Amino acid sequence: MPWDLKPDRPIYTQLVEHIEWMILSGVYPPGAKLPSVRDLAREASVNPNTMQRALAQLEEDGLIITHRTSGRSITEDSEMIQKARIRIAREQVSEFLEKMKKLGFDKKEILSIITGMIEEVGK
Amino acid sequence: MLGKLLKYELKATGRTLLPIYAALLISAAVTKFISLFSGSGDNIPTFISAFLYILILVGMFVMTFVVMIQRFNRNLLSDEGYLMFTLPVETWKHIVSKLLIAIFWNVASFVVTFASIIVMTYDEIFVEGLWPQIARGLTELALVLGPDSCLVILEIILGSIACMVFGTLIIYASIALGHLSNRHRTMASLGAFLGLTAFAQILFACLTLIPNVRVLQHYMDTLQESLQTSIALFHYVMWFTIGFFAFLSVGYFLITNHILSKRLNLE
Amino acid sequence: MNAILECKGLTKSFGSKKALSDVNLTIERGQIVGLLGPNGSGKTTLIKLANALLTPTSGEIRIAGMKPGIDTKKIVSYLPERNYLNDWMRVHDIIGLFRDFYVDFKPEKAYDMLKRLNINAGDKLKTMSKGTKEKVQLILVMSREAELYLLDEPIGGVDPAARDYILETIISNYNPNATVIISTHLIADVEKVLDHAIFIRDGQVVLSSSVDAIREQGKSVDGLFREVFRC
Repeated sequence: MPWDLKPDRPIYTQLVEHIEWMILSGVYPPGAKLPSVRDLAREASVNPNTMQRALAQLEEDGLIITHRTSGRSITEDSEMIQKARIRIAREQVSEFLEKMKKLGFDKKEILSIITGMIEEVGK
Repeated sequence: MLGKLLKYELKATGRTLLPIYAALLISAAVTKFISLFSGSGDNIPTFISAFLYILILVGMFVMTFVVMIQRFNRNLLSDEGYLMFTLPVETWKHIVSKLLIAIFWNVASFVVTFASIIVMTYDEIFVEGLWPQIARGLTELALVLGPDSCLVILEIILGSIACMVFGTLIIYASIALGHLSNRHRTMASLGAFLGLTAFAQILFACLTLIPNVRVLQHYMDTLQESLQTSIALFHYVMWFTIGFFAFLSVGYFLITNHILSKRLNLE
Repeated sequence: MNAILECKGLTKSFGSKKALSDVNLTIERGQIVGLLGPNGSGKTTLIKLANALLTPTSGEIRIAGMKPGIDTKKIVSYLPERNYLNDWMRVHDIIGLFRDFYVDFKPEKAYDMLKRLNINAGDKLKTMSKGTKEKVQLILVMSREAELYLLDEPIGGVDPAARDYILETIISNYNPNATVIISTHLIADVEKVLDHAIFIRDGQVVLSSSVDAIREQGKSVDGLFREVFRC
């Protein structure tokens, strides 16, 4: 997944989001070992300090664990991961609902569009 | 660090000068060769070869001089200065390393000239006639001077070195002074050179007004009064000259050092 | 002593022209800092002062608490905007020179980077293109384990691929004890890599802020720069 960093938001928040996606979408599966800060920074073409902050944030959120001697790895706590998945899902939906409201759709219309599309995409 | 600077100085200057020195020796050998083959040695090929030799000889002295100036100017005061002056080395070491190598090449050019002359005149007749005569003359002189002969040799060596150091440092100081101006740095350097030379001459003239030196003049006028006086006179003059050059050299060195460490302004 | 660079009332005049006016700055270790401003704003003057290539007219500048001199030159690695290499040397020779004079120079690193960029160490500098010579200079500067790297327009004359490589090298070289100061007017390219941005105009510091603080206001550093320096 390319690191697509936008210029007008703090980089570290974007890094947190990006790594979250990678964890939740399985690119970094539970228990997997993370590359070093420097390697990650190089991959993303960002300042190692910034990457460090992003990782610290993710650790605070419980998605990453730092081992004293062997670097960082993704948590194996599936409950943590599920919580994060749901949080992101809610964020996406709330963004979607905002836009729909602006376009003037009501609850019923929104629901029917969603159900319809889920059928289509499912095929 | 000074040793390392000397190494790089030598490499940088040797690239240009060694080929010329080699060419001189080769030209001398070739001239000799040609003259041997054509018998009397007074014909066109020898003449051409000898002419070339003279050209190379002049070129060698000119290049030794030019390389000294160019090396100082380009390595310290042009883009290369960005490299040199960010090395963790005191400014005076930069100046001294270039000075020492400049003197080295000055001496080398004389040695090579001497060697090339030997190559050209290496002839059974010449060797048997000329060199023994010179050797005899020198031994006689040494006998006449007695223990003084060592001192005289020392004075001549020191005097030559003092003269070379003085000549090199006055040029470095001129270049450094020229660097102070913002435009027309070459003109400013030439102006500085004239100024510094004029200063040296005026200083010398003033010093000769000192009573001691006056007495010296008197002695000079009545030369040949006795051998002792002549020799004493020689010593006096030599040490005065050495001292004079040394004093001015220190002054020019200090000027150069001050400008390069405190008033550097690389473009 | 955490600050690697400190300026107090730093002023530099050339005749009647003030290149730097009463500059006050503190830069900490372990940061990548952008010194950003238009041409002629005083960036290069500040960098030259840090390298002892110029002496202040008034005020002071200190590197790791010391006045610029031999001891600071040992810990500062400088990449000037111009080409300062002796043309007659081969790459081998210039590496030898750096090794001779800088204790913190790592030849293996240099050779490694040369190989990555397909530059032959046996080549004469005279035969190289301007872009290649710039890469060689950068490699030499980054192969030193210095405490302060001063890079004056490192990505100016280089192609985009080389630009990426240069930024990658800066990131890889990062260590918490060292600081990199990048002076440039190409801000968008360099923004992601900066911790801190300093805007300088007409010899004065007009802004000194962390990049995060700028972005939290919803602007990129490049965007803010254009606003501040609007013609």
